[in-house]
Amino acid sequence: MLCEKCKKRTATVFYNENINGKTRSYSLCGECAAKLREKGELQDITSMIGSFADPFSQLHDDFFGGFFGIPARVSEGDEKKCPDCGTTFREIADSGKVGCPTCYTTFGDELSGLIGSVHGTTAHTGRVPFRHRAKQERTEKLKSLKRDLQTAVANEEYEKAATLRDEIRKLENENGKEAV
Amino acid sequence: MAWYNTVGASSDTVISSRVRLARNLAGYPFASKLDAAGANEIIEKVSAPLEAAGFRKIGFSDISPIMATSYVERHYVSPEFANKDTPRALLLQETGGIAVMVCEEDHLRIQSILPGLALDDAYQNAARVEKRLDEDFDFAYSEQLGYLTHCPTNLGTGMRASVMMFLPALTAGGYMDSLAAQLSKIGLTVRGLFGEGSGAAGCMYQISNQITLGITEEETLKKLKDAVSQISESERKTRASITGEEAERLTDRIRRAEGTLRYAYRMSSAEFMKLFADVRFGIALGIVTDVTYEQLGTLLVEVMPATLTLSSENTPKTETARDRLRAQKIQSILSAQS
Repeated sequence: MLCEKCKKRTATVFYNENINGKTRSYSLCGECAAKLREKGELQDITSMIGSFADPFSQLHDDFFGGFFGIPARVSEGDEKKCPDCGTTFREIADSGKVGCPTCYTTFGDELSGLIGSVHGTTAHTGRVPFRHRAKQERTEKLKSLKRDLQTAVANEEYEKAATLRDEIRKLENENGKEAV
Repeated sequence: MAWYNTVGASSDTVISSRVRLARNLAGYPFASKLDAAGANEIIEKVSAPLEAAGFRKIGFSDISPIMATSYVERHYVSPEFANKDTPRALLLQETGGIAVMVCEEDHLRIQSILPGLALDDAYQNAARVEKRLDEDFDFAYSEQLGYLTHCPTNLGTGMRASVMMFLPALTAGGYMDSLAAQLSKIGLTVRGLFGEGSGAAGCMYQISNQITLGITEEETLKKLKDAVSQISESERKTRASITGEEAERLTDRIRRAEGTLRYAYRMSSAEFMKLFADVRFGIALGIVTDVTYEQLGTLLVEVMPATLTLSSENTPKTETARDRLRAQKIQSILSAQS
């Protein structure tokens, strides 16, 4: 099935929209879906998925192999390894599993396409561990303060902007300290 | 009392509800890179607070394969967990059907399984245990990706919620394939009785969420509950549409199934599953009145191969001996409570 937006690429993302009881289905390719998501036109990302009857085997066959086009010949010395557990991306591609929490940082770029394709997004929402809660609350607060700062600057409210900037600095310091 | 011999809400279409949370301890590699010493260390660490909270610890390296399989049949552990050969332990609290698999694919798989449609309660049970462990341990987590898991398909909430549905009318009508396709479009999956790769024996299907990232626990539960209630409605409508000669044939089949279940001398597990589905359907339709959902729930565990074998003092040596034992067990359970 072709993507109904660009009518060129194969549709891999299916989306159901329910407005006042009327359901409308969209079939999109990954690229067009990503564009619409950026524009905020695909709100209910959670109801989007690809056609993965068995997520594991699909993930394996289509994404790691097909999407990334892992180079056939990479000499072992050239391969990037996770500093904590020594896993290479090839190992992840073969098993469908990462080696340790640090692999998600080490192979962040390589994995983000896969994660986005499986889940339709790459941003967590929901439960937060006890130890991360205070930091995450500060991060949320920072986001909203930065938005307020932009508005204040745009409206030429410089006094308010200065107060906001101080508050932002203070929160950024606290978050920075905790990271260390 | 174990979860499987009690009855819950919507039991005409729902057998059980299950929620599991995947968690890993920061500072340790995931299972495939974890050595035996590391695994044992994790088992020891997490066992302490759970045992203090009344959980029973079962070291899976110390029990027989048949005992391990019996835990699979009671849905407390996955077949993969039972069959592994690396250090692993189950921490179990039968009330509330709470089981924590330590060192399965993830360091911790905290699950609660309850009879009938009880997703919120199952989530609360699992979340309570998770909260207790969260106080003591630093879970692998990133703000961007949520709880970090061995397999990227569990990232985010790490939560898999599933409902075991009983859908004989939709199965007979040939609607299951199209239902599975529709569910897949809204991020839900259909699987057989014992999870991934298992067949849909006894008209039982596990409906579960596929996506764990970018959706909160509550949203996931709501989406699953909405789908289950819609599926239940279509199952009920399809049941109600069976009339005339078709209904008579069905009644005949159900009564024969009950008769066979009560009086057979030998019974294979495949035959049991078929009869189980017919008799359960019979209770829902009001055709079978002297067998209860509780009895059938008990049977569904007690006559599975491993649990059945363990229940007998004299281990049956041959398959026919086991089939004879199964028939006896069924009769004793059906006559005990009715």
